[in-house]
Amino acid sequence: MIRIENLHKRFGALEVLKGVDLHVKPGEVVCIIGPSGSGKSTVLRCINRLEEPTSGKIVVDGHDVMDPATNINAIRSETGMVFQQFNLFPHMSVLDNVTLGPIKVRGVKRAEAETLGRELLAKVGLADKAPKFPDQLSGGQKQRVAIARSLALKPKAILFDEPTSALDPELVGEVLEVMKRLAREGMTMVVVTHEMGFAKEVADRVIFIDQGRIQEEGPPREFFSNPKHPRLRDFLGKVFSHE
Amino acid sequence: MAFQFEPSVVIDTIPLLMRGLKLTILITVGGLFFGFLLGALAGLMKISRSFIARKTAGIYIECIRGTPMLVQAMFLYFGVPMAIGMRIHPLVAGIIVIAVNSGAYIAEIVRGAIQSINVGQTEAGRSIGLTRFQTMRYVIWPQAFKRMIPPLGNQFIISLKDTSLLMVIGVGELLRTGQEIVAVNFRAFEVYLAVAIVYLAMTLSIAKGLRILEHRLHMRTQR
Repeated sequence: MIRIENLHKRFGALEVLKGVDLHVKPGEVVCIIGPSGSGKSTVLRCINRLEEPTSGKIVVDGHDVMDPATNINAIRSETGMVFQQFNLFPHMSVLDNVTLGPIKVRGVKRAEAETLGRELLAKVGLADKAPKFPDQLSGGQKQRVAIARSLALKPKAILFDEPTSALDPELVGEVLEVMKRLAREGMTMVVVTHEMGFAKEVADRVIFIDQGRIQEEGPPREFFSNPKHPRLRDFLGKVFSHE
Repeated sequence: MAFQFEPSVVIDTIPLLMRGLKLTILITVGGLFFGFLLGALAGLMKISRSFIARKTAGIYIECIRGTPMLVQAMFLYFGVPMAIGMRIHPLVAGIIVIAVNSGAYIAEIVRGAIQSINVGQTEAGRSIGLTRFQTMRYVIWPQAFKRMIPPLGNQFIISLKDTSLLMVIGVGELLRTGQEIVAVNFRAFEVYLAVAIVYLAMTLSIAKGLRILEHRLHMRTQR
């Protein structure tokens, strides 16, 4: 589904990614963890080219993302993205947030898009919020709308960039619930997260990125119970001492 | 002869100014209409990916902001016809001057408002597959436009008052009409006071109108 080979990304003199290889199979849930500044969000943002990779190869659903002949907008509409800061469109109602993509990108008729939009809002438990504006929602509700917005394009994969990091602790659960359901339904997901509980429970594979490289990866049980890399042991030690 | 203020002259002068007022309004509305189009274009060019577009807009903005409007008006009305061998109607010249002049300031307003919108909005738009243009059209512009209203109101008021400078190129606008009346009745104090009152009434109306517009747009996003 997503294949990344030898991905490098440099911001000026700073080399953030120093050769990352990652294959994500259809239906797979991959969680990426790592200290801040390790480059984990950058990997995600390179997949739909919100960040321009310096070198390397990225193939999404058989399309070479880096190829200038590839229609990047088409790839983006096939790979949803959920942001840490939600990035809902504040000047549009919740329903319009969800229907904008289908109407403008897919050319779906408004009535049809709204039916779909209401279904998706119901799916994330926000059917009654359709006419509201983002400002009137809690953080958890905003993030669930953002998930509905990305689902509206019927993407083949969804990229989650620290989807719960900006939320008050009591609102994290409702967002993770929605994500768990998507995972169970077979959605391909790449999730950059600090939620170790979620990674343990939902991920098919957990990846530890540090200093611009994948340092360790594996199925969650083994990954968390028997971390091999000293940096990962150190990182997990720090994370769990706070939990 | 001692000066004697005659309030009735002020009252009587105002209807006589209507002919000039019409022209002032026409030039202001026409000039600002084209000025906004020009300003929106130049503002977008200023943040475009194309170096040439950025530079072109930059030169336009600097040249216009760096020269007095009075000079621009005289150059266009008296200077340019010598080069093109064709007279320009004063009214047309007036509208062009206001448009070109306000456009340079509006460009900076547009650029600033667009750049003030969080980059996450662009990323969200692009992430659902919208093109650059669609993202601007449906996501960024509507939010930026709301932020443009207060500075645009300011510019509208400045441009309205600047139309008075056009009397030097023979546009029979409000101030010139007043001047013609003074030439007949010599009541400079009362007549220019009346002219000032009419300008003030218009600028206050613009300010009020924009406050209403701003309020409406605000209501629409926060029911």
